[in-house]
Amino acid sequence: MSSNNITIDGINTTFTPGETIMQISRRIGITKEVDHKIDPQISRFCFHPGLSIAGTCRMCTVEVENAPKLVTSCSTAAVDGMVVHTNSERVKKSRAGVMEFLLLNHPLDCPVCDQSGECSLQEYNFQYGPATSNFCDPKRVYENSTTKRLSKHITLNMNRCIHCERCVRFSSEITQTNDLLMLNRGWKKELTLTDDTLTLISDYQGCLADICPVGALTFNDFRFKKRVWFLSKQNSICDQCSKGCNIEVHYEDDVVYRYIPRYNKDVNNYWMCDSGRLSYHKRQAEDRIYTNSNSNSNSNSKSLSNAILNSNSLLIILATDTSNEEAKTLIDFKNTYSYRLGKTADCYYIGSEDSKLDHLLKMKDQTPNTRGLLNLNISQLYNSNSNSNSNSNSNYDLVILVKNLQTTIDQHLLSMLEYKFQCKELFAFGVFKSDELKLLQSYSFFKELIPGRTTLEKNGSYTNCDNITQTFKKIDALENDKIKAIPTIEEIFTRIFYQDN
Amino acid sequence: MIEIASTIAKIIFIFFLCLSSLPLCVWFERRGSAWIQGRKGPNRVGPFGLIQPVADAIKFFFKESFIPTNADKVLYLLAPLLALAAPVAAMISIPFGSYLLFENLGGNDQYKIPLQIVQSDSGILFVLAFAGLEIYPLILAGRASNNKYSILGALRGCSQLISYEIAMGLSILSMVVIYSTFEMNAMISYQQNHLWGVFINPIGALIFWVAGFAETNRLPFDLAEGDSEIVAGYHLEYGAMKFALFFMSEYVAMMMVSAFLVTLFFGGYALLPGMNFCIQYFSATQNTIAIFQFLSLFLKVAFFMFIFIWVRWTLPRFRFDQLMHLGWNILFPLSIINLLLMIVLGYLI
Amino acid sequence: MNMNMNMNMNMNMNNTKTIINVSRKIGLKEKIYLYALIQGLFITLKWFLRGFFLGKSNTISYPEEKRNYSNRFRGMHFISVDENKVENCTSCYLCQTVCPAKCITIIAEERYRDNDPFHYGVRKEKKPKSFTVDALRCCFCGMCEEACPKDAIKLSRNYELAVQTRAEALYDLKHLTREVIGRG
Repeated sequence: MSSNNITIDGINTTFTPGETIMQISRRIGITKEVDHKIDPQISRFCFHPGLSIAGTCRMCTVEVENAPKLVTSCSTAAVDGMVVHTNSERVKKSRAGVMEFLLLNHPLDCPVCDQSGECSLQEYNFQYGPATSNFCDPKRVYENSTTKRLSKHITLNMNRCIHCERCVRFSSEITQTNDLLMLNRGWKKELTLTDDTLTLISDYQGCLADICPVGALTFNDFRFKKRVWFLSKQNSICDQCSKGCNIEVHYEDDVVYRYIPRYNKDVNNYWMCDSGRLSYHKRQAEDRIYTNSNSNSNSNSKSLSNAILNSNSLLIILATDTSNEEAKTLIDFKNTYSYRLGKTADCYYIGSEDSKLDHLLKMKDQTPNTRGLLNLNISQLYNSNSNSNSNSNSNYDLVILVKNLQTTIDQHLLSMLEYKFQCKELFAFGVFKSDELKLLQSYSFFKELIPGRTTLEKNGSYTNCDNITQTFKKIDALENDKIKAIPTIEEIFTRIFYQDN
Repeated sequence: MIEIASTIAKIIFIFFLCLSSLPLCVWFERRGSAWIQGRKGPNRVGPFGLIQPVADAIKFFFKESFIPTNADKVLYLLAPLLALAAPVAAMISIPFGSYLLFENLGGNDQYKIPLQIVQSDSGILFVLAFAGLEIYPLILAGRASNNKYSILGALRGCSQLISYEIAMGLSILSMVVIYSTFEMNAMISYQQNHLWGVFINPIGALIFWVAGFAETNRLPFDLAEGDSEIVAGYHLEYGAMKFALFFMSEYVAMMMVSAFLVTLFFGGYALLPGMNFCIQYFSATQNTIAIFQFLSLFLKVAFFMFIFIWVRWTLPRFRFDQLMHLGWNILFPLSIINLLLMIVLGYLI
Repeated sequence: MNMNMNMNMNMNMNNTKTIINVSRKIGLKEKIYLYALIQGLFITLKWFLRGFFLGKSNTISYPEEKRNYSNRFRGMHFISVDENKVENCTSCYLCQTVCPAKCITIIAEERYRDNDPFHYGVRKEKKPKSFTVDALRCCFCGMCEEACPKDAIKLSRNYELAVQTRAEALYDLKHLTREVIGRG
């Protein structure tokens, strides 16, 4: 019987064979207080939990009793009876030495560097590093790659690079595009594109900026937009595709500045695609409709309840970017309608087919909740391939259309409503753009547009392509006056039958 | 006929002398206060800023002249007029020289024109009567403005004036005891022949002087005003020329009190020491002497005007209880004792 | 004095009330008041004569004469420029971060190589697209000056900040990069 016991910083624990010291210490939550700042884990540059172990930066070295030298905790597997000190004087001295070498050539342009505030080099230098340098020669400058555009998303500043090679491993292991490599050796070691005539080709370039521990690789969309210390953070779900990546929304006041991926091993691991990362622009686009198309008040007007009472049949069309809660509310509404008024009512969704686009995260379906609507037993209005309707012989007086940010209504749908369903009145709910409103207004049966809230502005849940239901919460700070005036779908449809009282 | 013409001429002379020296007084008040406080004062308009009061007057003329809605219009307008008229009128019985002598005028060989508008045997009563009128503008302005601050200022001012008028009257009475006359020319000739009143009755002079400050509402006795307590006082609701009249009346009152003080205690138009010698040396005519007499009165009054301004920028305002304490507990008994003393003194002499 | 205080503290500890009489004795001279009055009159007379004859005053004729304030005086803001009249600011937001009055608003942008005729390269890769100082909110503490790594934002010695409209008190980049010699 071999026992697996290890002592890290005086804490005795067991481990499964093959676990590294860093993994164990992370699991048991080794925290240490250095200069009044709590470092949640053993310091490191080259190690990233989503990538393979390199063991090149020597920042994670720890002291193991009876071992002649310090060992790298990221690559050293635990052995029974090991006694480890992660923060002894010897370790600190070693880390200070590593930091001094790294800072020989680092330009220390923190004021203009986008990474400052979330830069590992900055933090570790604050903790361990020498405040001064003994280096008196001019610093190394990469003339050609100081601010080099690697693609339209990524800018490289090679002077800041500390050669941890996370990006190179990312491109070979995660995206498998192999579009980055380290050229030359030693002093002249330089990150370049594999083929200098091309740009980065992966769809996950934003992750390069995320994993870069310094400001060498920066994401152009966020570049120079905001210093990170101004940003507040809240967890949410990306609604750009049916994958439902977990994200952290970074915002200041009522403006979102970026999405960064949040770890979820069942959904997106550590990564996120670029189109999802840039999707926050849609929310705060200038052509978004914030006000009711007919009146200035956003409260549900009398015309909708009148139309409901006067209609003979009701068709509810849900886009696949409505949340589960909104869909449930509308189904309840449909049932109440047919029960109380004794008239026919149907509910369908409009959406597209789903399939995986690559080996990582990208999905074909660009809406977040197709699976959720299917789970609610809603069937598709028409199939984009066959263009056949499941319920072809019905005429509907009143059509209620609910959509969110991801779907755009097209002429096809509207002409179908006009000719096939003989629609007399259309009420549109949700987030629309001004050109969509123009399109709607060109149809005579269009009555009213009531603005809605996007994912960040409401509570709800999406069920992703793998049938995982994930909830998201409203970010209160984003609720500016314009958005506060917009009622949620739930608010409108739960009270609509009681409004006359 | 000549008498009427000369009287009118004298009235015009005194009136315009008072009014035309007002801007100078205002300028000196502002400039003097600046010097005392280490400032520069008005120095932009004209040489040394001398035209500044003219500019101020023009401004006052062109400002909107308003009357508060609920004010009693007649009394409201009467108050500033009375304020200016009372001290000017009080000037009529103060002699500003002995007499001018004209030959071959009006059929007489020698015609004397006394340099005093009203030659009355009871000149002092004249002055006191008109000086007593000074209380009315306060009451009228405070009452007619329909403003609580105004009425507060008027109340304070009235009680102050009444309190100090007693001490003032008693000190004047003590001088009447000594001079044994109400006639001002006689008082001056007494002082010319004997001593200036101030040397005979210094305590009386002091009491009169202090009461004079109170009567003219000058610091440290300007209880009728008080920015920090009652915004501005009885003239709070007055603007433009109406305020200017109040403002001017203060200086005219100062002149009147100074002239009265000089007449009672400092020899009136009696020549200043040194002048007498000059006149005897050059054996000047009566008319020249009269001019010198007027000049010495003018200089004496100017000196006391300076003291008014000097004291204003030295002493802060009294508290109301201090004011009443000084008036009733100190000056009033002191003046009675002083009066008794003077009566005894009069018997001894 | 000290003993008094100690005694007072002891008394407080024993929870007993003590009344300390702080009024001073007033003698006859002070009661009569005339002596102090005359003293005061002579002081003001001295100053009167000083102003009247020597023309001395402690004030100045302001718009014509101006006081020379200390070099450390903190007045109207400016952004220093280099030899090419290009602002030194790299819009690092440190001043905006440190500003206690939150009066600085910066919008940054990249100084692209195309519109970089002086070839600053990385030295000035970032530049302010707009840099606004709200002088009405500013408390002139000078923290922005302290924080600036480029010595770009500075407070000049110009203290004449009066403006006619509120909009004029919003100093934009053009106003801030005006020519200021020394510290104004």
